[in-house]
Amino acid sequence: MLIFTLGALFLSASLALITYERARTYLVRNRETSLQQQTFVNARLIRTRLRDPATDPAALLASLDLPTTSTEQVLRVRGDWYSTDEGRGVDVVPAPVLESVLAGEAAKQRVRLDGLPRLAVGVPLAEVGSEYFAVFPLRRLSDTLGVLRYSLLLGALVTTVAGAAAGFWTSRRVLRPLADVSAAAASVAAGRFDIRLEGGSDPDLATVATSFNHMTDALERRIRRDARFASAVSHELRSPLSTLVASIEVMLGRRDDLPERSRTAVDLLAGEVRRFQRLVEDLLEMSRLDAGADVLELEDVRLDEFVRHATAGAGVRPDVVDVADGAHRAVINADKRRLERVVANLVENAEHYGGGVSRVAVSADGAAARIAVEDRGPGVPAAEREVIFEPFVRGGNVGRRGMDGGAGLGLSLVSEHVRLHSGRVWVEDGEGGGARFVVELPVAAASR
Amino acid sequence: MGARILIVEDDERIRAALRLALEDEGNTVDEAASAEEGLPTFSQHPSDVVLVDLMLPGADGFELCRQLRRRSDVPILILTARSDSHDVVAGLEAGADDYVVKPAEPKELAARIRALQRRAARGRSDAAGPLAFGDGDLVVDVEAGQVRRGDEALALTKTEFRLLCELAESSGRVLSREALLERVWGYDYFGDSRLVDVHIRRLRGKVEDDPANPRYVVTVRGLGYRLEP
Repeated sequence: MLIFTLGALFLSASLALITYERARTYLVRNRETSLQQQTFVNARLIRTRLRDPATDPAALLASLDLPTTSTEQVLRVRGDWYSTDEGRGVDVVPAPVLESVLAGEAAKQRVRLDGLPRLAVGVPLAEVGSEYFAVFPLRRLSDTLGVLRYSLLLGALVTTVAGAAAGFWTSRRVLRPLADVSAAAASVAAGRFDIRLEGGSDPDLATVATSFNHMTDALERRIRRDARFASAVSHELRSPLSTLVASIEVMLGRRDDLPERSRTAVDLLAGEVRRFQRLVEDLLEMSRLDAGADVLELEDVRLDEFVRHATAGAGVRPDVVDVADGAHRAVINADKRRLERVVANLVENAEHYGGGVSRVAVSADGAAARIAVEDRGPGVPAAEREVIFEPFVRGGNVGRRGMDGGAGLGLSLVSEHVRLHSGRVWVEDGEGGGARFVVELPVAAASR
Repeated sequence: MGARILIVEDDERIRAALRLALEDEGNTVDEAASAEEGLPTFSQHPSDVVLVDLMLPGADGFELCRQLRRRSDVPILILTARSDSHDVVAGLEAGADDYVVKPAEPKELAARIRALQRRAARGRSDAAGPLAFGDGDLVVDVEAGQVRRGDEALALTKTEFRLLCELAESSGRVLSREALLERVWGYDYFGDSRLVDVHIRRLRGKVEDDPANPRYVVTVRGLGYRLEP
């Protein structure tokens, strides 16, 4: 719309200006020429009359045919100045014109007299030793030009407004449907698959709408298929796992009855089953989060209480937990069990790759609460700090798979869960040189 | 001191493994492979606890819960694939007392089973006999394990009864969901408060004239629940 307006403004203004200039030049020149001609005609008449020395110059002047009544005339005959009764004499004649004519050259000049524009014309009449001057008012011309100027300006304004209106209408008609399409696309990207567009009357837009709807249909079918697949896979994976987990526990219960080699085998089995169970859980959780199928159960939770319980559950000694002054009354709106997994994952991370948790710092200000897990390890290099939160990525500092061998999903699950809570998580350098993983969450209420 | 447990699960290997594990803990185990087998088995050998897998062929686990509830107040523990699906709430509303996520670790199962079998705690209040509310309209007899509303004896499940007793014995004080989760189900800080919420709903359905506007079992926003005198 802006372009239309500016374009219209530019075009109409240019047009108006050019028109005005042309018209003005033409009109002015025309007028001047005509006045000049008139003066020459009058001059010839005067010359003819002045051949008769008895002629009264003043009466002669008064008898001349003039285009307007307020024309000033001055006649110099043999050294004496004459003008009409109402005239003001030679003062009305501008000096350059006077000089030129006295030197024998006709001249004309536009001049302002009493605030009004005028044209002064002078003609030498050598034959009778006289000089004739006439000063014409240009008021009417000036008025005409004024009217012209005003109309052109108005025209330009109207054109600009029309341009703005055209731009507005165009944007409504063309851009609004496009805005609808992009809004619909954004909804789909955010996970809503029930959006469909109407074609409307415009055939071009109808094509876009139809394509869009087809695409959304296909997407929806795909997502549903994936969800069914994920759910079927989930069941198929959990069933053998149930048997494995239960049987392993039975064997571990009888561990002492086993010969040594069997005992070792059972221990290995138990470790692997546990590891496999974790992996399956993490994978299924990742796929649920991807499908956006999760529902948070939110409640208001005291931050300090939560962190103490969660760290205790993860095996962290209570003296390692440091709750800052501002955080004692902070409350967050959270799904306790998911956040517990987040804390447990970070603690586990610190233990496996960071040499153990050195500190868990809890802080809060008016807007945000933070839980920071610090470790004693080598820290995370700056180049890896973003990528470690992606699935299946393990930091470069991690060596061969130890007995715990993670698959690299822990931090990506942390990141997703924190995101679902409208929070952020990142890693930075801890004070002791190790890594500090910080989870930031919005505060629900700062006081009970 | 073991319990008689009925496992209703279609996967025979899981059944076998769970039987092994639970028997190790000193329990007696009966098996059923479907809801259709489960009901007659329960009738013949009344169990102390029934384990129901929600994903059963034929009539599903929810239906079995409902059927069991029609005949008995036996504690029902459902086995579910996910803790955050609405399966849990649906199972609880169908009559289950608690849930365990598959794969279920036998130790955890055993702990849940023990918790479900606890008798309602007594001796918390000074009153020796039954507790009365609403001028005798509602009477809770903890010792006898009975509840009367007006002239009628109410049929509550063991867990519903324990929940009501906890509220009754706190004589009008508010109990938080966390406290109730701990006292009735034995869960710690991270227990699932949906257990409390659904059971309160079920309790209201049985005790109140108008469950939507409860006169006795009252919600105190932001704090918990209370039994009005």
